[in-house]
Amino acid sequence: MLCLGLLKLGVALLLVPTCCRAQNTTTQSLQADIVPLGALFTQSTPVTLTKSNTNFNSFVGTLTLSYRARTSQWWGQGAITLKATTDFAPAGGPSIANPPSQGDTFTYTCGGATLGASCSGTQTVSTTAATNVVTIGASACTGGGAPCSSANPNTANVSFTLTDDPNYKTGSYSATLTWTISAS
Amino acid sequence: MTNVLKTAPLLALALLLTASTAHAQYGDTGTTTVSVTIGPQAGLTITNSSTPLTAGGSNFNLFSGSTGLTYFVRTTTTGGGGSITLKVTSDFSPSGGPSVASPLTPADALSYTCIVASPGTACTGTQTASTSSQTNLASFGTNVHTTSSGSTASVDWTLANDPSYRTGTYNATITFTISAS
Repeated sequence: MLCLGLLKLGVALLLVPTCCRAQNTTTQSLQADIVPLGALFTQSTPVTLTKSNTNFNSFVGTLTLSYRARTSQWWGQGAITLKATTDFAPAGGPSIANPPSQGDTFTYTCGGATLGASCSGTQTVSTTAATNVVTIGASACTGGGAPCSSANPNTANVSFTLTDDPNYKTGSYSATLTWTISAS
Repeated sequence: MTNVLKTAPLLALALLLTASTAHAQYGDTGTTTVSVTIGPQAGLTITNSSTPLTAGGSNFNLFSGSTGLTYFVRTTTTGGGGSITLKVTSDFSPSGGPSVASPLTPADALSYTCIVASPGTACTGTQTASTSSQTNLASFGTNVHTTSSGSTASVDWTLANDPSYRTGTYNATITFTISAS
């Protein structure tokens, strides 16, 4: 009788470890869609145009633009453009859309883009059309080093030049420039 | 065959969605305020690099000549003004001839009259040039400006032809100053 009881206990002990080793395996897929992106950091600091002497030289000012971008492989591209969404105000001073003299211009040059190519030559700011600042090719991306840029964020310098026309009335004038970055 | 017919539309839809995502453009915008302060300003250029003074006829007629200049000016909209003045900064040399600071006789003066295009106002009458003080050529009122190509002015010089002057060539330097507020 005792032997029969010990035998049952032994069988029970043998079964316990066996049932505790039961496992269940399942899988889950993680998917990330890496899409082309472009982002600009809003330039909160106004650009003040100044001149170095008292003659009728042009007013100049420089802005450093910060951005991040990622373009698709093979056929992707991106661009940063600039457009004057508000002309100089108040009236009587410089104007992009209706300058008081024919030779009055508000222009800029680009340089030092750490991702993409800076615009070439002298560009004229317009109130009607977006003009090029940086052109980004396919398979471009910000940060982390090759194949992306080492800089993060990327930067580009834009230098503005405004004609100083004696026709301008004295006073302070402001305009708003809108930057747009796009990527595909 | 039935399975293929069921999965084909799904595959097409998936391809369409993929293509749509791939060609989508993503962008962002930011704004910058550009500001400039336009202050009063003035500048000028002398049209002729030198002004020869000549005397017509064989008598002791006065020497005369003209200096042209182009000026640019912008004065403040309220309470502004400005002027163009001139000063003899280097008297005639060498010695023995005419002199602004130490004329041989009191009548041996270097004098001038002014012609000034708008928006400037020309000096009135005949002015006597000086080595010690600025003398007026033009004046500007408040809230005036030239065009971007500037305005013109000229100074018509007259120099006494004193028989006491020794023969020779004599040079003086005149400095023009334009100011605006």
